[in-house]
Amino acid sequence: MKQMLAALAMLAALPAQAETVAIVNARAWTMTAETPIENATIVARDGRIVSIAGAGAVPAGARVIDAAGRVVTPGLVNAATQLGLTEVSGARETNDQSVASGALGAAFDVQYALNANSTLVAQARADGVTEAMVFPGGSASAPFQGRGALVHLQPDGDILDRAQAALFVRVGSGTSDKTGGSRAAQWQLVRNALDEARAPQGIDPRERLLGRLDRASLTPVLDRRIPLVIAAERESDIRQAIALADDYGIRIVILGGAEAWRAKTDLAAKRIPVILDPMLNLPLSYDQIGARLDNAALLSNAGVRIAFTVPGFGIHLSYNAGSALREGAGIAAANGLPYAAALRAITRSGAEIWGADDRQGSIAPGKAADLVIWDDDPLEPQSGPAIVLIGGREAPDTSRQAALRDRYRPGAETPLPPAYR
Amino acid sequence: MGDDMNTRGQLRHVILAVAAAALFASPVVAAKKKEEERQSSPVSPSAPDPWPSTYRPLPRADMLITGATILDGAGGRHDAADVLVRDGRVVAVGRNLDAGGAAVVDGRGKWVTPGIIDVHSHNGTFVVPLTSVDEHGSDVTEISDPNAAETWIEHAVNAQDVAFDRALAGGVTTLQILPGSTTIIGGRSVVLKNVPAITMQGMKFPGAPQGLKIACGENPKLYYGGRGSSPNSRQGELAMFRAAFSAAQDYLERSRGEKPGRGGGHGGPRGPRNLELETLGGVLTGDIRVQAHCYRADDMAVMLGLAREYNFHIAAFHHATEAYKIPGMLREAGTCAAVWSDWWGFKVEAQDAIRENAAFVEAAGGCAMMHSDSPQVGQRLTIEAAKAAGAGRRAGVSLPPETIIRWVTSNPAKAMGLDDRIGTLAPGYNADLVLWSGDPFSIYSHADRVYIDGALVYDRANPAYRPRSDFEIGRTEAAPR
Repeated sequence: MKQMLAALAMLAALPAQAETVAIVNARAWTMTAETPIENATIVARDGRIVSIAGAGAVPAGARVIDAAGRVVTPGLVNAATQLGLTEVSGARETNDQSVASGALGAAFDVQYALNANSTLVAQARADGVTEAMVFPGGSASAPFQGRGALVHLQPDGDILDRAQAALFVRVGSGTSDKTGGSRAAQWQLVRNALDEARAPQGIDPRERLLGRLDRASLTPVLDRRIPLVIAAERESDIRQAIALADDYGIRIVILGGAEAWRAKTDLAAKRIPVILDPMLNLPLSYDQIGARLDNAALLSNAGVRIAFTVPGFGIHLSYNAGSALREGAGIAAANGLPYAAALRAITRSGAEIWGADDRQGSIAPGKAADLVIWDDDPLEPQSGPAIVLIGGREAPDTSRQAALRDRYRPGAETPLPPAYR
Repeated sequence: MGDDMNTRGQLRHVILAVAAAALFASPVVAAKKKEEERQSSPVSPSAPDPWPSTYRPLPRADMLITGATILDGAGGRHDAADVLVRDGRVVAVGRNLDAGGAAVVDGRGKWVTPGIIDVHSHNGTFVVPLTSVDEHGSDVTEISDPNAAETWIEHAVNAQDVAFDRALAGGVTTLQILPGSTTIIGGRSVVLKNVPAITMQGMKFPGAPQGLKIACGENPKLYYGGRGSSPNSRQGELAMFRAAFSAAQDYLERSRGEKPGRGGGHGGPRGPRNLELETLGGVLTGDIRVQAHCYRADDMAVMLGLAREYNFHIAAFHHATEAYKIPGMLREAGTCAAVWSDWWGFKVEAQDAIRENAAFVEAAGGCAMMHSDSPQVGQRLTIEAAKAAGAGRRAGVSLPPETIIRWVTSNPAKAMGLDDRIGTLAPGYNADLVLWSGDPFSIYSHADRVYIDGALVYDRANPAYRPRSDFEIGRTEAAPR
């Protein structure tokens, strides 16, 4: 019965997906060029983009959405968030992003906790996020944090796009107390773990530090199938990460990177991308003494691939995974990053870093028809999404904020209490 | 954040930069006092302030800014207009003003607003970098007892906090430093001018009324309840408030007839001074303005009842994430709502926060303000206002720039009892003003120049006028000069 219902649901979904949609009169930032296409026509069929062209023709029978000259971008890609793992961060039982005890270290895998019905997911979708990397907050075996999952914020059903898409490690003062009090130990533990995963047979089983699951989770890192993400802020740690990439031949992504600008030349030469907080200009810790607002511009101009994450003291990271991302990109743009590069850092770059560029992050034939029509410049704080399309279909705003707004908006008063509205 | 960095556990989260972590009385008509009287103790005008302001304006010259778009903070917009400043005060706002010997600053293409006011800051007490020292003893709040009415936050302010410099680059000229919300009564606030100084007194706003920070809801009950002490419930918090204000009423009663000079020189009853009751007594006499941290509509309604019972006024609710549910109640009480643009959901009592909050309060004729509570938000209060206004517009409440600028200028000035001096560009007001490169609500705009009392304190184009705290120098170059 359950299978039959599922099949019926699939059938019901098909006609909608099979339609052809044409967005006309768009100012389209495709993210495949440094300038937008004016008066663009974007055609999508079966949930994928078929064509994009200036003053392009509208296929017969297509449903037409008039963008009326407004900006259209790919759906936002949040390069690092904990969407779907947290509900009320202050109420610990509603949080699944971390484990502090138990058997799991590097192997901790957040995919099993994803909650598509989270109010945060609905908010992010309403704010134009269509794809995101959901990363673990910590494991029982520091400095390893575990494995992150790519999510696709489709309005109904499962949001998991690709599990075990990256393995995360956090080094620096923030976690040094969990590894005995020094970051030196963190790097030694990371190196040992890679050694054990590479050649377990050479180490006496009684002397191994890693369990079977943790060891196995590192194999795709050694095989360069997934990146090892080093969450680090201080220059010395960033340089250690570069050395690690050299010594083990593995792919590295820097997350945080407050002082990454100090190592920009080497990061560019080694093609190591940096996922950074474009709002950070305060040394929140001694690891972030070099924090500055033109970090993004300095790195990008040096040829480093950058994408954005916005921690916002733990508020923006997941609660405003879309709106704060735009604000951050705007701040970067106001501090030297070219506009196109700022947009790229919240769309295509994240898709590239996480290996989702074949379907996400740009407007081009074959890519998912995940698009946002903005009511004005998407990097301006007064702007917002007018229409969010996922798979070529308008995603309804199902956020709690929208429901509360509509219940309490001026003029909504009724003789009965709000609960009846 | 400050509010929710209130407890050590939450502070720790911030230090780790991993997980989540947020936090004012206006006797409706306060008699205006002379400047010299303002330097005296706020509770007992006869007693001198032991920590008087040593602030002096930086070197200044008369000036005329010409041809700018001026938002005057009082609801007016003046296009292609001039503002004339003499002796640190605004002399006139209008067209074709005569410089009369004042230096002319070309404001064409630029915007001018009053200096931005942050009614809720923890700068100087939540000092970055955060360390394990803060974890074990944060200066944000004295939390050894849920009633810290005897504490004055000014005794903790570190003037070298780099967050002051960052806020200055965002146009902030006045800040109210508040204690946190771990305790139900957090202690007295201090109002600072955002001028680089060696000491707190060098920043202290001469004659500004003090505030008292109080907090309701989750934070106090979680912290003390979690340690097996009281309060561990909302009703416990209210009982504690009533006991404290009842004692303050009795204190004032026993003080009656006592001449100033008794009881330690502060006009209190005979016997040892009671610092806690001096503060609460100051609230009951209307000298100290109440700044109340509350999120939920029902919490705010209960606190307004407390204020009625003890006949004091709540100047503002801070965070007030559900102010939009009760805008009429707040308007009638004359209580402002100091809110974030978009923080929501991170605690149980914050789940109903919406981005239209400020706009809906404004639409109902209430007093809305943007506050920071965070050294990051505190750099971009105009952007906070822009985000809130954008959300309002999409919900059908369109507000012009000359209205929303009040959220970060004249409204906070009112909540702090300084609306006769700052927050507005009009003749006689302090010449605290910001010359913006463009529309202050655009992400691409910068504060080009910031003036306090007519003195240039920040110039984006001139490294000699971009102050850096002692903390920042002598380290590997962190910020461009």
